[in-house]
Amino acid sequence: MELSDSVLQHLRAVVDLPDFGGTRYELEGEIGRGGLGAVYAAFDRQLQRRVAIKVLDGEEEARVIAGLEHPAIVPIYDAGTLPDGRAYYAMKLVSGERLDRYPRGDVPLSERLRLVERVGEAVAFAHTRGVLHRDLKPQNVMVGSFGEVYVMDWGVEGVAGTPQFRAPEQASGAAALDHRADVYALGALLRFVLPADPPRMLRAIAAKAMEPNPADRYGDVPALLRDLQRFQNGQAVEACPDSRWQRTRRFAVRNQVLLLLLAAFVAVKFFLFFVRRL
Amino acid sequence: MDPDTAIGGGRDRFPSTRHSLLAAVTETGAVPHEALEQVTALYWKPVYKYIRLKWRKDNEAAKDMTQSFFASALERDFFQQFDPAKASFRTYLRMALDRFTANQYAAANRQKRGGAAVTESLADDCEPVDGETPETVFQREWQRQVFALAIEDLRAYSESAGKRLPFQIFAAYDLAEAERPAYSELAERYAIAVTAVTNHLAWARRMLRGCVEARLRGVTAGDRELRGEMRSLWS
Repeated sequence: MELSDSVLQHLRAVVDLPDFGGTRYELEGEIGRGGLGAVYAAFDRQLQRRVAIKVLDGEEEARVIAGLEHPAIVPIYDAGTLPDGRAYYAMKLVSGERLDRYPRGDVPLSERLRLVERVGEAVAFAHTRGVLHRDLKPQNVMVGSFGEVYVMDWGVEGVAGTPQFRAPEQASGAAALDHRADVYALGALLRFVLPADPPRMLRAIAAKAMEPNPADRYGDVPALLRDLQRFQNGQAVEACPDSRWQRTRRFAVRNQVLLLLLAAFVAVKFFLFFVRRL
Repeated sequence: MDPDTAIGGGRDRFPSTRHSLLAAVTETGAVPHEALEQVTALYWKPVYKYIRLKWRKDNEAAKDMTQSFFASALERDFFQQFDPAKASFRTYLRMALDRFTANQYAAANRQKRGGAAVTESLADDCEPVDGETPETVFQREWQRQVFALAIEDLRAYSESAGKRLPFQIFAAYDLAEAERPAYSELAERYAIAVTAVTNHLAWARRMLRGCVEARLRGVTAGDRELRGEMRSLWS
């Protein structure tokens, strides 16, 4: 049998579509396709609301996410098996933009860093539950219409990651990945959201997170987040230790009111000293 | 209830529940005849088209070279040297094909140089035609062949399982070359309800997906590679 191009294209479009017959969902259309499966918009007839449904070959991802309750992790509503044997899970349909499509032109630096911090908090939380993301990248981060951040596509064993955001040990297929692979990806994500000419210290934070040797990276995600916080507080960051002069200058800037008061006090003392002499 | 339409039903009753070809090679140390047949059935046309495009061979020369490739390259060592951790079997086979055709090409040139030195430019031969690379043509022909074989499997299964009508509706709708008929037109043609048309179509598509998976399972080295190949079909 010889299939024409148009028939082939049609078959590729319809044969992979999930058949929700026998479930409470009505298919609306495909909204995305990731490394582990496709995501569809659907209507939940029972609860009369729209949901997102991910269809995948295994049930592992649903079990992974169901165990993660966090404001920045999309909640799972339901899971099941399609008539063709594929697993699916229904989740909140997030309205917003994927981070890679999020308009960053006018976004201030503080807002960019907030996005990375929210992602980092979700990943750090998952690590406390023993879950690695394994494929952290802008395509897997949604920014909602109220600025809320959702981390999606939680990885399972065997996920290859995405070259630009993948730690070297993940690319080489190292058997035992640990949370430092996610530290690397978070550093890559930070570098992605930074403006064209970012402050030197932020570049250093991203570079430290993305060190080729896992032992040279931040020990965990909270350590990276603390460094970001230090930067925002005007303190020295772990990734980029200050010289003595820089430390003095930073101390002076941070305590300028106190130093001005001290200088004024000394000046008054001197003035009074000389007045008494007269 | 028809078990094929039940949740999770029908999965074990596809035309052939194929085992992994490469697992079989590893287990037995030999290449089963069925495995060779599966590889040849799936890859003959993609290999032929790839050779025609990449090496600018005419029909007969490309057929000869394809025949030689399958006759000489697919030996025991070929399968045993395959490492699924490095690449899919499809990529491995295409790389082997590149090596094979390059060797054939070099041998042919050596013969020609016995007289006057006649060498063809490899670079010119590798120029893509109509903006398509030989690799994209190979990928598309592979997709085409996977579906073609799976449709044959589905047809055979439908015949044996007394499911001729669903297959006929599937063929009339999904395999239509021109404009697809309306569901109501099909309902009238086969004297059934419109909902029955959509149910038959859903059954056939679901079974076809199963046949596709079974075909690919036969030429992959395990679940991980199988999932990757399934994704390659839709992307």
